[in-house]
Amino acid sequence: MRVEYINPFVEAAYNILREVLSEEVKRGILYLKSSTNPVKGVAAIVGLAGEVEGRVLFDMTKSTALKIASKMNDEDLLDWDDLARATITELANLITAQAVTKLHDLGFRFDLTPPALITGENMEMYDDYKDETETLIVPMETSFGPVEINVAIRERNRN
Amino acid sequence: MTTETQIETQPEKATIIVKRIDFKMITFTLAGKDYGVDIMRVKEIRKANQFTHVPNTPIFVRGVDNLRGEIIPIIDLRMMFNLPAERRDETELENIIILRVGEIVLGIIVDTIEKVVGISKDTIQPPHPIFGDINVKYISGVVENEGRLYIILDVDRIFTQNKEERAAQAPQTAPLAEIPAPSIPEAAEELNLRFFIETLATFAGFHVSPLNQDWVRNRASEWEEKRRSAHQEVQITSEADAREFLSSFYSPDTDRLWDPTSAKNLVSGLDLGQQGQILVWNPGSGRGTEAYSLAAALKWVHPARPYKIWANDKDLLNISSAPSLSFARDQVPEEYLPLMTETKTGWQFTGEVKSHILFEFHDILHLNPYDNLQLIVVRDVLSFLDVNDQNRLIEEFYDKLRPGGYLLLGKNEKLGHDFTGFREVEGFNQRLYRKKE
Repeated sequence: MRVEYINPFVEAAYNILREVLSEEVKRGILYLKSSTNPVKGVAAIVGLAGEVEGRVLFDMTKSTALKIASKMNDEDLLDWDDLARATITELANLITAQAVTKLHDLGFRFDLTPPALITGENMEMYDDYKDETETLIVPMETSFGPVEINVAIRERNRN
Repeated sequence: MTTETQIETQPEKATIIVKRIDFKMITFTLAGKDYGVDIMRVKEIRKANQFTHVPNTPIFVRGVDNLRGEIIPIIDLRMMFNLPAERRDETELENIIILRVGEIVLGIIVDTIEKVVGISKDTIQPPHPIFGDINVKYISGVVENEGRLYIILDVDRIFTQNKEERAAQAPQTAPLAEIPAPSIPEAAEELNLRFFIETLATFAGFHVSPLNQDWVRNRASEWEEKRRSAHQEVQITSEADAREFLSSFYSPDTDRLWDPTSAKNLVSGLDLGQQGQILVWNPGSGRGTEAYSLAAALKWVHPARPYKIWANDKDLLNISSAPSLSFARDQVPEEYLPLMTETKTGWQFTGEVKSHILFEFHDILHLNPYDNLQLIVVRDVLSFLDVNDQNRLIEEFYDKLRPGGYLLLGKNEKLGHDFTGFREVEGFNQRLYRKKE
């Protein structure tokens, strides 16, 4: 993972989460991973394509997702309904978009795909991509529970 | 005009239709799939059974057989590649292909032996990971013939590789095994050495292996002498001790810009071909001084050639400051200055130099997406990895280098004799190896 890519994601995650939750969030220690990921319960995936390709995965438990969605909508959401799903999708979009904007400013050109949301118990993410690219894990601590942002990106033409 | 072109194209067409047969292979089956081996490697084909079992051999060695007075090992390819093998009656004869690989003659047991197939070398396609049954590195290619797909095995690689692998596994215990076991009365020196090996791993993450054991032995005796004369504890009991012990291990110019003359000497002494992009990989680049020194040296020696340096480290703090690393004026040798500019924080390399280096946050133990390299600079990195990882990475370096590519290790590191694919290049005051062509 090029070092230039790291900060935009960390900053975007920090800024957006702090803004939408209107509270201080804490960033955990970044680390690299090469194996498959267990998914906590709710995963939003945003694809990147262009000079740089890869994907960004936002991973949290369902209860964290519901609480975040409630906070963002300023009402108590009890069920994992359309509104809750749309809210988490939007959160993923916000963070990735801000990161990509920062990367654009640094001269990296690429586009986003619309986020896809996956939910379920005991899921694991098997990704062919992971075999070729290691993943940067950005753990964020919120008062609603942890949100993990997994960033796997690389240049399209390495040589 | 038209007739001329017709005449010219005619023979070409003919050669396409009449397939040129320049490669013959013996085909056989293993667990229902078709395989082939180069006929030049095959000595003969026979049926036999009741091989003489040899104790303490890997499971895939079925035993030895007497081939007209010559004793040859018999290897069960199905077992070797973990393929399902039919349980056969003891008395039933096995199909055996006798191969000659270099100096060795050996027999391999296969399910059925089919026939000789002649093909054109041009139709052989590169192996594809889809043939998951057998590791891709043992496959030299895939070819289609009369509607059947044959996987051509690279027997040289399988059997020489295996020797290497076994050898590579051995060193794990070698440094300890070479030292007499504790039950035998041993010299205090050896006992100390054994402690050093363990404490260095604990306190500094430094793993003693054939890569660095020569240095460790020398350093240990020097250390003991020094400590004794100062009436200090000889054992390493803290991180600080371990750091002091290792202080003379590091290569010259670690964590600072290389001496310009030696950097220039090194790069101009490398045979990097005449044209094309020069690809360099610098794992464990730390703050990036090594990568910058190399970039400068490449610029001095090959001003017109494009080049790219992949520099990575798993220390996030160091590597993320690398792209904007600044130096105080007195840390920069004069020769580097034309490639640098003065900034608020100190002297930095110009954007042009930086554009050739890609700093990445990356763990070398994960998948390394680099290929076709001409130079790998990995000084004092392997010694801080587990012995198994050291060996695995050296093999990986071999795969990732072009033939004739170079591997630069730390000053006090050297390849064991098992890595026969490299030869040492003398005369650089650096530990440089070259991949044999």
